[in-house]
Amino acid sequence: MLTASNLGKRYGARWLFRGLEFDLGAGDCLAILGQNGSGKSTLLKTLASLVPPTEGKVTAPGNLGYSALDMAVYPALTAAEHLELTADLRGCEPRVDELLGRVGLQSAKDQQAHEFSTGMKARLKLAIAIQAKPEVLLLDEPGAGLDETGRKLIEEVVAGQLKTGAVILATNDPLERRFATLELEVGK
Amino acid sequence: MTKGWRAILRKEIRSEMRQRSGLITTVLFSVFTVITISFATFDLEISPQLGAGLLCVAMLFAAIVALPRAVLIEEEQGTGDLLRLVAKAEDVYWGKAIYNLLFMAITSLVLTVLFLGFTRTGVAIPWLFVACIAGSCAAYAGTVTLCGALVAQASNRNALAGVLSVPLLLPLSFLAVSGLRVALDLRGGFNVGNGAIAGVGLLCYGAASLVIGPYLFAAVWKR
Repeated sequence: MLTASNLGKRYGARWLFRGLEFDLGAGDCLAILGQNGSGKSTLLKTLASLVPPTEGKVTAPGNLGYSALDMAVYPALTAAEHLELTADLRGCEPRVDELLGRVGLQSAKDQQAHEFSTGMKARLKLAIAIQAKPEVLLLDEPGAGLDETGRKLIEEVVAGQLKTGAVILATNDPLERRFATLELEVGK
Repeated sequence: MTKGWRAILRKEIRSEMRQRSGLITTVLFSVFTVITISFATFDLEISPQLGAGLLCVAMLFAAIVALPRAVLIEEEQGTGDLLRLVAKAEDVYWGKAIYNLLFMAITSLVLTVLFLGFTRTGVAIPWLFVACIAGSCAAYAGTVTLCGALVAQASNRNALAGVLSVPLLLPLSFLAVSGLRVALDLRGGFNVGNGAIAGVGLLCYGAASLVIGPYLFAAVWKR
């Protein structure tokens, strides 16, 4: 499903990671570990083709799901409009009610995102990430900013995704790490 | 071109209608510019050369102030990655270029109506005047959208967008002034043929910038 071959990323003279090799299939969950600034998020962005690698290559399916703390949503659009926009751009079904119900945002369907809390934005990004039924789901610090209910939601989504596809988590949270079938520490 | 560009265009219009930051800034800029020009030339008759130059400068600044924001705002508000993940580069370009074209058309309409009214300037050749304004709108929209994409990921992107626009927009300004001074010349002192060539040149510049745009945009949009 997702393969990394001799993957490396360098900023200036510093290598964040180098020589990474892995091949993920359905049911695999890779946890990327490391301290702040170690390159976890950069590795996730490299796998999502948002950042080019310095060396090596990534072979990934076309429909990746990705959610990260530093990825924003449009402040003037409502939750429903976000899902309609991303569905039109991807060419898939919007599934607005189903997805908002799944992430617990049904009551905020027509609310603009600038009124959302951090946790609500994280839930919306998660709904966008799983909208196209991705083969690989990449989540950067998925539990950050979420309350207990939100964390349970992440667990449900990850467990559901692992039935049909793969998950890559950038996290240091022990609760999230328990899903991992493979762990990778960067920045050492 | 897929239907994705319509989704981008809809998103841009919705965001602008709800936030109204770009349109209000540009319309206010246009109003203040025209009022200042009319105040400064209150008891003077504006020559076609001066009228064409002032109108082009006002349109140029309105474009440079407002248009790159359609692309730059994606990086500033942190939504660039979301768009890169779900959208094709050509859909993003066309959605934003068409939005910029509509934006520029509204701005130009407001600007020219105010300019002609406040400065009591007459139009001698309406078709040439319309061709010059329409060509300028298309060229500004295509060129400035592209400039926005080129500098989007630079740290000093706003300043860089202006600098990068200069060599691309200078020939456009020359053509616009050449065409408009003929269109505004009520005494018939300029060669209409030269004005028509400038008008056609502007329309071609606009069409070329919009047609070449998606290819260049695709090369710079993904990191």
